[in-house]
Amino acid sequence: MSNTIPLSLDPPGTFLYTGEMATKGYNLTRFGLSLRRPDNRKAFLADEEGYMRGAGLSDTEIALVLARDWTGLIEAGGHLQSMLKVAATVGENLWHIGAHNAGMTADELMAICPRKVSALPGEES
Amino acid sequence: MARIVAGFGISHTPSMGIEYDRGIANGFAPHWQPWYDGTRPVKAWLSKLKPDRIVIVYNDHLNHFDFDAYPTIAIGVAPEFRQADEGWGPRPYPSLTGDVALGWHVTEHLVREAGFDPTVCQDLAVDHGIYSWLPYLMDPPWDVPTTPIAINMVRHPIPTSQRLLYLGQELRKALESFPSDDRILVVATGGMSHQISGARFGIANEALDEWFLDKIGPEVNTLVEVPQRELMRLGGTEAAELAIWFAMRGALSDEIREVYRYYTFPAITGCGVIAFEEGPAA
Repeated sequence: MSNTIPLSLDPPGTFLYTGEMATKGYNLTRFGLSLRRPDNRKAFLADEEGYMRGAGLSDTEIALVLARDWTGLIEAGGHLQSMLKVAATVGENLWHIGAHNAGMTADELMAICPRKVSALPGEES
Repeated sequence: MARIVAGFGISHTPSMGIEYDRGIANGFAPHWQPWYDGTRPVKAWLSKLKPDRIVIVYNDHLNHFDFDAYPTIAIGVAPEFRQADEGWGPRPYPSLTGDVALGWHVTEHLVREAGFDPTVCQDLAVDHGIYSWLPYLMDPPWDVPTTPIAINMVRHPIPTSQRLLYLGQELRKALESFPSDDRILVVATGGMSHQISGARFGIANEALDEWFLDKIGPEVNTLVEVPQRELMRLGGTEAAELAIWFAMRGALSDEIREVYRYYTFPAITGCGVIAFEEGPAA
């Protein structure tokens, strides 16, 4: 487990949500946002796979959700804020997503946050 | 005509709201107590200021809008604004009171005079962008007429810093041509340093946030020249939301006085507030 924070915007440190990502992950993001409605959350929990097939997700996307592979989902274009709705629905939260992204457990991540850096624009770090 | 009497910038985060509810019920967690304490003076200031109307520039987090149609700039023009369900169910708070008259007036100005093309929302659910910090600063019912303006911060391209400063400047013109004697408060909320996805999750650049607070009053024109990518590189991708604060600053004059500031870093988001009043001290 590493607590090094690179001051760059490159993956896997950072996944910038660009138009390209929004196009790639359109269905996935739309599926996650459907869980803003309590009735949809209930339907999803009753039959995750069936609900996702109905939402038009691909086999790969469905497998990522079933595996709670938050990093894979973000790489597939699922917007963080949308995947957060999925996490909320299955009893997880932002820490679980962040921990998966950072390659550690949620408890480990909580223990090292805030992960302090110090640098200002124009100052070489 | 109406006049702008004050403005403030403030951070928002979902946990800020959840920790408020828990804190009021059972006492604040040690890492959130400083933010509660640090916002007490803002609450006292607002209760004396008693603005007649409030304009809040914030960002939605895919809680009302979705990518079928995601507006770059949207204005809420409705009698009230309900709280969005972010996936865990809404928290026990009432809706915000809307401000239809001012909303249309601002829309007229922005579209006809200022070169902006906002999406007008006659039904808008507001998320933690407003609901996370509002309970710290004002007790419900929230009956001061409020106009929310939502800025896209969830998918690039996001509006430039210069554009948001200009939005604030045009907002000022709109508010100052509103036919009333009302005293208006302008609020901006976003950031500060944080990143909530990727291996850099949890980045905390307190120096950057403090530097931003130092500069937004007296040196905003140099601050808007800092590339947003630089703010994101040093403060995390969501630090781009600091650009929203420029809309508040743009709505204020250069004759402002900083009346309060506070900053702390509870968990994964820099939590800051800075308040300004117009004109000489009373």
